[in-house]
Amino acid sequence: MISCRNLTRRFGEFTAVDGLTLDVGAGAICAFLGPNGAGKSTTLKMLTGLLAPSSGEVHVCGLDVRERPREVKRQIGVLPEDLGLFDDLTVEEHLLLTGRIYGLERDETRSRAGQLLRVLSLEDGRHTFAASCSHGMRKKTAFAMALMPNPRVLFLDEPFEAIDPVTSKIMRDLLEAGARRGLTIFFTSHILSVVESIAAQLVMISKGKIVWNSPAGELPQSLEQHYFDLVESPAVEELEWLGWPRS
Amino acid sequence: MARLAAIVGALAKAFRRDQKSFQSVIGNNFFFITAYMLRAAGAFVYVIIGLVLLFPMSTDPLRKIPASRLALWPLETRERWLLRAVSPWINPVTWVLAAVSLWTAHSGIKIGLWGLGAGIFATGFLLSSLLSQDARPSQSMWRGVPNFPGPLNQLIRKNLREMLSTLDLYCALLLSLTATIYRATRRPLPPEAWLAITVLVVLAFSSYAQCLFGLDGEGGLSRYRLLPVRGWQILAAKDAAFLLITVLLTLPLAPFAGAGAALVALALGHAPAVIQPRRQIRWRFSTGASLILGFGQAILMAMAASAIFFSGAWILLPCTAACALSTWWYGRRLEQGFATE
Repeated sequence: MISCRNLTRRFGEFTAVDGLTLDVGAGAICAFLGPNGAGKSTTLKMLTGLLAPSSGEVHVCGLDVRERPREVKRQIGVLPEDLGLFDDLTVEEHLLLTGRIYGLERDETRSRAGQLLRVLSLEDGRHTFAASCSHGMRKKTAFAMALMPNPRVLFLDEPFEAIDPVTSKIMRDLLEAGARRGLTIFFTSHILSVVESIAAQLVMISKGKIVWNSPAGELPQSLEQHYFDLVESPAVEELEWLGWPRS
Repeated sequence: MARLAAIVGALAKAFRRDQKSFQSVIGNNFFFITAYMLRAAGAFVYVIIGLVLLFPMSTDPLRKIPASRLALWPLETRERWLLRAVSPWINPVTWVLAAVSLWTAHSGIKIGLWGLGAGIFATGFLLSSLLSQDARPSQSMWRGVPNFPGPLNQLIRKNLREMLSTLDLYCALLLSLTATIYRATRRPLPPEAWLAITVLVVLAFSSYAQCLFGLDGEGGLSRYRLLPVRGWQILAAKDAAFLLITVLLTLPLAPFAGAGAALVALALGHAPAVIQPRRQIRWRFSTGASLILGFGQAILMAMAASAIFFSGAWILLPCTAACALSTWWYGRRLEQGFATE
């Protein structure tokens, strides 16, 4: 469902993503892990057509993302890094806009919007402008927009960060149910416990290159330990001035 | 005292940076065209620009510090009072009003104008300090923007709300209102005067046509890239909002001439809006791409409005065609930009 070959993106001299090759099958939940600045968001932007690759190929739902961008957009739902919200639209208006733009009938749009607002606990803030929403509300709005057109593939950039535990659980349940019905999900996250609970495929990236790609069950050790070993080990520096009494 | 000095210093720096954004008026079509063409006769226009500018300039500098941050800082009560007393003097408008009040007391003239200025300042200052920035009172007022038929409804509503948070629009509104009141009082004016005022009204917010994406923000621009719509549809939603405002503002004046001028403003504004998008700031004047383009836009707007006024509404047809062609062409450029970024 998602396929990329030798995907590379350079920003001047800096290579953010370097020769990335990856396949994600239909109905899979693929977690894309890596430290800040490893190239996760850049990869996700290239997979969704938000950013043109310097070289390489991307196919989503069998369509070339560069050649047929509009057809690809109709097939996918995206939660982008910057959430992609308009300051001058309310939470509900964002959902109504999405439904109508993706060709849903007015009644169907209203019905889905109402359901999503209810499920994601956004009902109380439905008339709040995006600019006035908390970060969590904004993220939930963008997540609801991604689900609204019932896409074949979902791309989610850090969907669980800044989300309360109950909504996080609801979101995980929604994603798992969607995957069981054939929805393909590609997401980035730093919350390893969430990744462990839902991901069927694990891909780790470091300095723009894939360092691990396997089904979740084939990890040789715990995800956290494996991540520390392969991607980045924690380095703690002592701050002598931290703690009481003050020096 | 060191704490207070540090806060006031940072506050002054932040406030100065914010005030620099008022320089956007220099790149505004309305400002430089009236400065060039009307000169001394443009006093009335400058009073309007001044009044429109005074309101956002009269903000409370202390609001630059988030209320939660201010509450967390370990300041003594005395220091908080001092900060409250000192911070208004960071705003240069406070000094100007104080100087004018001293001058007024001695000369005994212009008390009315001073009172008006001081009143606007006090209103702006109090409103800005009473209402936190997060509350965005203006936005709750914009909730009532009407719905439109079609799938682009929410985009058009959003674009209208964006236009409602620029000073250009209020300048045009003041001009239009003044002219309408003048007309309602049935004072004699040659018919050509309505044409001139109509062109001035459209000119007042024509710079916005050059920066149609200026208030969408990064999030909005990435959403445009994600939506499965054509570039021309995105531009058409922008144009619809612009034209709607034009029709409403010029309805009591010369509406056909106004619509023609707006179509020409859009036809010429699409290029800089798409090719050189510039970020704009809310509650400031829009800044155009260049003086040459601004002059060109103004001259062609005036020509189109005059042609419609003197030759008939059929001239709207070529104006509409030019705008539609520009929308289609720059819509394609917009899509190409999305694909190559």
